[in-house]
Amino acid sequence: MQARLRLSGVSKSFGAVQVLHGVSLAVQPGEVHGLLGENGAGKSTLLNILCGVIPKDAGKVEIDGAPAHIASPRDAAAAGIAMIHQELQQVPELTVAQNIYLGAALRRAGGLLVDRKAQETEARRLLAPLDPTIDVTAAVRDLRVAQRQIVEIAKALRAQARIIAMDEPTSSLTPMEFERLVAVIQTLTAQGVSIIYVSHKMDEVFRLCSQATILRDGRLVAQVPIPQTPVAQVIETMVGRELAQASHHSFATGKVLLQVSNLTRGNAVRGASFDLHAGEVLGIAGLVGSGRTELMRLLAGVDRADSGHIMINGHPPGPDPRARIRAGLGLVPEERKRDGIIAHRPVTTNTALPAMRRFSRMGFIRQAFLKSRTEALMTGVRLRPLDVTRAIGSFSGGNQQKAIIGRWLASNTQIFLFDEPTRGIDVGAKAEIYDLIEKLASEGRAVIVVSSEMPEVIRVSDRVLVIREGRISATLARDQISEANIARNAIPA
Amino acid sequence: MTRFPLLSRIRFRDAGTLLGLILISIVFALQSDVFLTQPNLINILQQSSINACIALGMTLVIISGGIDLSVGPVAALSAVLGAAMLVAGVPIPLAIAGALAVGVACGFVNGALIAWGGLQPFIVTLGGLSLYRALALIYTDGQPIFGLPDAFRTLTNGSLAGIPNPVVIVAVFALAAWVILNKTPLGEYFMAIGGNPEAARIAGVPVTLTKLAAYMISGLMAAVAAMVLIGRLGAAEPTMGTLWELDAIAAAAIGGASLMGGRGSIVGTLIGCIILGTLRNGLTLLNVQAFYQLLATGIIIIVAMLIDKAASGKQGG
Repeated sequence: MQARLRLSGVSKSFGAVQVLHGVSLAVQPGEVHGLLGENGAGKSTLLNILCGVIPKDAGKVEIDGAPAHIASPRDAAAAGIAMIHQELQQVPELTVAQNIYLGAALRRAGGLLVDRKAQETEARRLLAPLDPTIDVTAAVRDLRVAQRQIVEIAKALRAQARIIAMDEPTSSLTPMEFERLVAVIQTLTAQGVSIIYVSHKMDEVFRLCSQATILRDGRLVAQVPIPQTPVAQVIETMVGRELAQASHHSFATGKVLLQVSNLTRGNAVRGASFDLHAGEVLGIAGLVGSGRTELMRLLAGVDRADSGHIMINGHPPGPDPRARIRAGLGLVPEERKRDGIIAHRPVTTNTALPAMRRFSRMGFIRQAFLKSRTEALMTGVRLRPLDVTRAIGSFSGGNQQKAIIGRWLASNTQIFLFDEPTRGIDVGAKAEIYDLIEKLASEGRAVIVVSSEMPEVIRVSDRVLVIREGRISATLARDQISEANIARNAIPA
Repeated sequence: MTRFPLLSRIRFRDAGTLLGLILISIVFALQSDVFLTQPNLINILQQSSINACIALGMTLVIISGGIDLSVGPVAALSAVLGAAMLVAGVPIPLAIAGALAVGVACGFVNGALIAWGGLQPFIVTLGGLSLYRALALIYTDGQPIFGLPDAFRTLTNGSLAGIPNPVVIVAVFALAAWVILNKTPLGEYFMAIGGNPEAARIAGVPVTLTKLAAYMISGLMAAVAAMVLIGRLGAAEPTMGTLWELDAIAAAAIGGASLMGGRGSIVGTLIGCIILGTLRNGLTLLNVQAFYQLLATGIIIIVAMLIDKAASGKQGG
């Protein structure tokens, strides 16, 4: 069969750093092709080259056997290539139909006016096989992420894309939304559309893909048929080393560090009450939108509660983030880029921000002390590369996460709140984050881990709270923690 | 790096601004014999000093993610109130302190509306622009205040080791601003809340106080500029300071401050002020009409931004 897309010998350097070394891959019509690799393996660069965002240094791109010259995103669109970005590129204020026809508006009156009616009719037709419940006249802002993603897919179909690249499409989808995406992808492939599917989640890759290309350090290390290859082998090929098998140790004590009583904010968090103990890792499971992130924000003082209160070490802390930090609480937020880091500042100052008093004397920052202390902390969390004067934004997601953990260690935080600690982090760094969480607990700190990934919750937690529609619907002890128990309590009746 | 501690501290971006200044100076030096003489160079520094005062405060505000459009009228209000105190015979140090306090108070009002009121800096200080100007006009009934004591005027018209006092004043405040920005937690907070306000808040940065501090410093610097100017003129006009905010923003931007917040440099801003001053001085020496001077200033600002964009684009923003 003639390959739909064939890349051969694609290379790319940024300055002196070569990030792609002659990568080749072939995607058949109607195939879902996994593109796997740790962060920094070169997946994004390859996709960006394919979509004309950055030029390649060498190599060939062929579509349906004919050489394609892709020098701009416009060329890529003309060649039938579309990309569904992780962070959707839409105009939130415009309607679904307007977004689908963005830059290619249907016109009437001799091209002077936009034909909204026709756009809406066409948009409805495009969306019908994907998700007929989406209202084409609704503002995209009012849609859920999963729906926005489907709108983006409809936009690709509008542009008659034959190759759709999806970059981590499920990072913010619930299990049910994922099922819909699977159905959408099957509809697309039945029409002969080829999908390039980038994901860290092995269960998804094994569910959807028939082939996978595995990159490591910018090199093609393997192209494997997916259902036939064992998961462990795929992961080992990606990471280039064997991952230690997970085992759970509990360090929980009876000492209550955090006491939460009846905490409420609007409908998002309704009457949450629980205790958190020194050395304990408390998992919080639930569907996206069930109020888990909102609960973390209330605890960290980022949002104010309508009612209820918390006690840290038996004392009520003040209401704002500063007061909560002083009381020993630290939030490692889900949206690192938005809520976690000051991207262009170095690791040192990102570390020092909550604890400036510790790092200054007579009103001046103790630069040398800050540097040496940060280096010590970052060695402890295994930051790579260990260059604390580099802008934190230039590190990979996993290393940014480690740096944020280091920040709270510098402030002597006793209670760590992790919100989706491994979102967008590759397999190797994930294991390191889990190790760090366990280490924090072993040092007598208390940890809360909010996660949408069941294996993650099950692996790290001593106890799990399940949240459903803002309320704690179940508390599961270690021996009760299972996917079935969590799902049963998470899904609204 | 350790062998040249001073060199390693000069940032790449500042070096670029300095290079621009040198290029402009070479052009003028080739065209005019007077340009490179010591009195003329000192003259440039003196002419740049008012803008430099304003721009120092503006730089800190911009780095913290804000903007202060009200600096000119704040200066005018401090000038007329300070002048009124001086004319009324209030002791000079007390009158100066009073005038500076007026500037700080105006900055406090701006900062309070922005930090506590949650209003947008552009709109708040746009309102301040009218408000403080109106107060200055109402207080003076639109008339200048004359008759400042000579003892006060010698403070700004004198010189220290051949360097005019306004330049010395700017140097002192610039050093202070540089230390604040680069050596103190407050400076780090400015960059943090300008770079990512939400992340800064979650990391425990006192966002409200930091914003307040930025606008209060800006108000203070406007008042300092006012004192320098009324000392030189011998009178305080309620209409002074028109469009000062734009010169200051231009100087900060040429010096590398990002209006998106989070980035900026005191050294860069100072060089930016000198670039603007040099342009005006050089073009005047060459007898270029004022209209074309304006044209040149506009071009320099835009070219500086284009170079900036091209350079930062290569590093991926």
